[in-house]
Amino acid sequence: MTELQYVGKRILRKDGPRKISGSSIYAGDIRLPGTLVGGILRSPHPHARIVGIDTSAAKRISGVKEIITGKDTLGIKHGFVETPRYPPDQLALAIDRVRFVGEEIAAVAATDAEAVEEALSAIGVEYEPLPGVFDPVHAMELNAPEVHPSHPKVKEPFHNIAGKTESSWGDVEAGFVQSDHVFEHRFKSHLRTHGYLESQVTTAYFEPGGKLNVWTSSQGPFIKRAKLSATLGLPMSAVRIQKAYVGGAFGGKIDLFSHEYCAALLSIRTGRPVRICASREEVFIAYRHGQPLIVQMKTGVKKDGTLVAQQFCVINNCGAYRGSGVVVIFLVWGFAMLPYRVPNLKYEGYAVYTNNPIRCPQRGHGAPQMRFAIESQLDMIAEELKLDPVEIRLMNARNPGELLPNGDNVHNCGLKDCIRKASEHTGFSEVYGKARRTGPEGRFRKGIGMGVSAYFGGSLIYPNSSSVVVKMNDDGTFTLLTGALDIGQGAETILAQIVAEELHVPVDEIQVIAADTETTPVDIGAWISGCAYVSGNAAREAAMQVKNKLLEIAADEMGANREDLILENKSVYVTGSRQTRLTYKELYGASLRKNRGDPIIGEGHWRTMRDEPMHPSLATTKGRWSENYAFDCQVAEVEVDTETGMVKLLRAVTAHDCGFPINPLLVEGQIDGQVSMALGHAFMEEVLMIEGRTINPSWLDYHMPCIHNVAVSEHIDVITESYTPGSPYRTKEVGEGYVSGILAAIANAVYDAIGVRLHSTPFTPEKILRALGKIK
Amino acid sequence: MFFPQGDFEMKTIVELTVNGERHELAIEPHWTLLEVLREHLGLTGTKEGCGTGECGACTVLADGNPILSCLTLAAECRQMHITTVEGLAKEGKLTIVQEAFWESGAVQCGFCTPGMVLSVTALLQENPVPSEIAMSKALEGNLCRCTGYNKIIEAVHLAAKRLSSVR
Repeated sequence: MTELQYVGKRILRKDGPRKISGSSIYAGDIRLPGTLVGGILRSPHPHARIVGIDTSAAKRISGVKEIITGKDTLGIKHGFVETPRYPPDQLALAIDRVRFVGEEIAAVAATDAEAVEEALSAIGVEYEPLPGVFDPVHAMELNAPEVHPSHPKVKEPFHNIAGKTESSWGDVEAGFVQSDHVFEHRFKSHLRTHGYLESQVTTAYFEPGGKLNVWTSSQGPFIKRAKLSATLGLPMSAVRIQKAYVGGAFGGKIDLFSHEYCAALLSIRTGRPVRICASREEVFIAYRHGQPLIVQMKTGVKKDGTLVAQQFCVINNCGAYRGSGVVVIFLVWGFAMLPYRVPNLKYEGYAVYTNNPIRCPQRGHGAPQMRFAIESQLDMIAEELKLDPVEIRLMNARNPGELLPNGDNVHNCGLKDCIRKASEHTGFSEVYGKARRTGPEGRFRKGIGMGVSAYFGGSLIYPNSSSVVVKMNDDGTFTLLTGALDIGQGAETILAQIVAEELHVPVDEIQVIAADTETTPVDIGAWISGCAYVSGNAAREAAMQVKNKLLEIAADEMGANREDLILENKSVYVTGSRQTRLTYKELYGASLRKNRGDPIIGEGHWRTMRDEPMHPSLATTKGRWSENYAFDCQVAEVEVDTETGMVKLLRAVTAHDCGFPINPLLVEGQIDGQVSMALGHAFMEEVLMIEGRTINPSWLDYHMPCIHNVAVSEHIDVITESYTPGSPYRTKEVGEGYVSGILAAIANAVYDAIGVRLHSTPFTPEKILRALGKIK
Repeated sequence: MFFPQGDFEMKTIVELTVNGERHELAIEPHWTLLEVLREHLGLTGTKEGCGTGECGACTVLADGNPILSCLTLAAECRQMHITTVEGLAKEGKLTIVQEAFWESGAVQCGFCTPGMVLSVTALLQENPVPSEIAMSKALEGNLCRCTGYNKIIEAVHLAAKRLSSVR
């Protein structure tokens, strides 16, 4: 087997020099002559009827060019999910009712920001406030205020049900009877936000001739085009989403946002470019955050720790519209069943409407909340049964080739190796419990904890598949066209590495043109953890087509059999005579001559689970979900200051099976970032709301990790897949799942340090001190 | 209204030196340096993450010292030499600090990068062999959500090492 030259190597980012020198263009950096500034008027009420909107005074303000309200729209709804069961439910601008603080009511375009501000404050809106409901359990009660009618297919007598997911296998009741011990606990997670450094920003320009050009901070241009064209009533051919780099997203920039719609409509109506950039305060108050879950769980085990039965009831506070709230209750079922074998399981999840802002995906999309619950309880079970936390995990972990209850196969699952290696690397079993055995001495107490997680890679959701085009240039270099968007994860780099590997050409000599709905082929987007696998295989197929055309012409030119030809360093030679070779440049010229000027272009396409018609049922979980599951076991070492209640994450060890790391440097970056995000969520970050209004809408009051909070992050690769040039490959995701195992590990480490179990995140100094009995 | 009335909107002519080039600009007294750089000089490499001095994405150098351009009035910068990220690389060649960021994998989404690189440039100018504590102190005002800071710290070490061998 030939050694890989580019794939699997620490290739530097293709977009590095541009980003480091400030020349990469983000959506807010687009400069077009005559650009107007836009702004959004938002509801100050969590729930109200709109009696009337008067824009007449605002329209007279100097510099104001246009004001739109719900009446100026087509009233076409959109949603994160758009299926027959869950049809679109959000308006771009509210018409007669608002359901959360920050809901969009009107938008202004003016020549400068001051005029926008003045106009927004001059728009008169008469509201009739309605009672609101903010707590999901309260919202389910029959006397609670109604945000929306309950889903017609949900028969339980609950109010405000946005959606429900149900699944089961085996016989959970019989399973509990067969168990030696049954444990029941409730865990709660909190409201966390993405913390992308670049705010939400869009520049739209409806050019003469009827083309709407949009540069927007997103996670993939094709879904934005679909939703913008649908809500604006324009054909897709009239909407072009152009490439803009993205200053962080983490799940928060996928679905259509009102500011995108408004920038577009304001540009259509004024004929001028319009830029709308949300302030950081707006992002905190009105945009979408993650999803706090209540997880009630009951687990039956044998004396030896074997899991027999598990039952879950999950309640998701999903905000004022469905958002991705109805997806989370499907996904957390998956995150519950992936890592461990549970022969009898029953799951119900409810997404509940409240008068809080809409929710959206957030890195891990439910997995951190679910793994925190499951891994915490597993440690409690281990302690009760006097088992080693490592042993109970190994005993129940899935083996390679196991079939999941939904029919998916875990293929080369490396979970057991992850657990073993994480444990050996940290001397886990010797350290665990030590602090508690020696008793509480001194101010600082250390603890160690373990957490396991798994995550899917790629699933069938619009636009489902990726295509890539590779074009050869006159000088023997290549241009790669991909719809994939580099949001920091390195999409452009890894796709170029794959093409480089297949075509034996340096990565530098591959130009990447990306993320433009008009000039690049369709791509699944940077939000379904499928770039390395789906778009990567498409790139490989495109490169292979090019390779085949090159070989064909080389065989002809050199009078040799194709099988005897070898590609090396931008040239081709016949095996056995390395000195005689034709360069790619020469071959391209020969191809043009022989094929009457036709150039060499390759195209490649890939879709995960090719034979599956669509995504699994969100209601019943039936149907295939993924063919690439990544697994991880993470260990956290923490230090608790028993005087202040502050906890430090000292060290995080991530043993992970991401299949095959196409670029280890980028993989490490993903892991470190997830560790940091998890430690923020564990100890520092919480969006605090009172009656649906954020009371800490800035980074002064919402503390994200800064450089003082950096944790030592160690990585152990468990390689379970391989890359062979010329063949399809399987790899797994690396950008989301590891935010969960480490959160669970931190929770268990905090317990190990203080000997008190915390059932809710975040682990604030107040909760720690209360657990230690130092405050009431 | 938030703003005082009267002479407030009167423009004054301000001479600014940015990346070695002199510009004569008619600016309003309340315009921030960030606004002038991005909207009037087209230097969009300087980023705005919050506009309220919390994230450090808008960091530029004023006479070599890192400042938050979102909290600095442009009119205050008359006598200063401002350096933005666009002013670092000379003739297309990245500086040692920029190279170190690239090679260490310290860049992901790239939004914090201009501010980070400038903060590190200023640090190493003043303290060529900084301790980890000095590094943390110098970068505590620059938020990064992608990297967890691990590879940024590696990049600072690498740049310091290379700079000391150049000297």
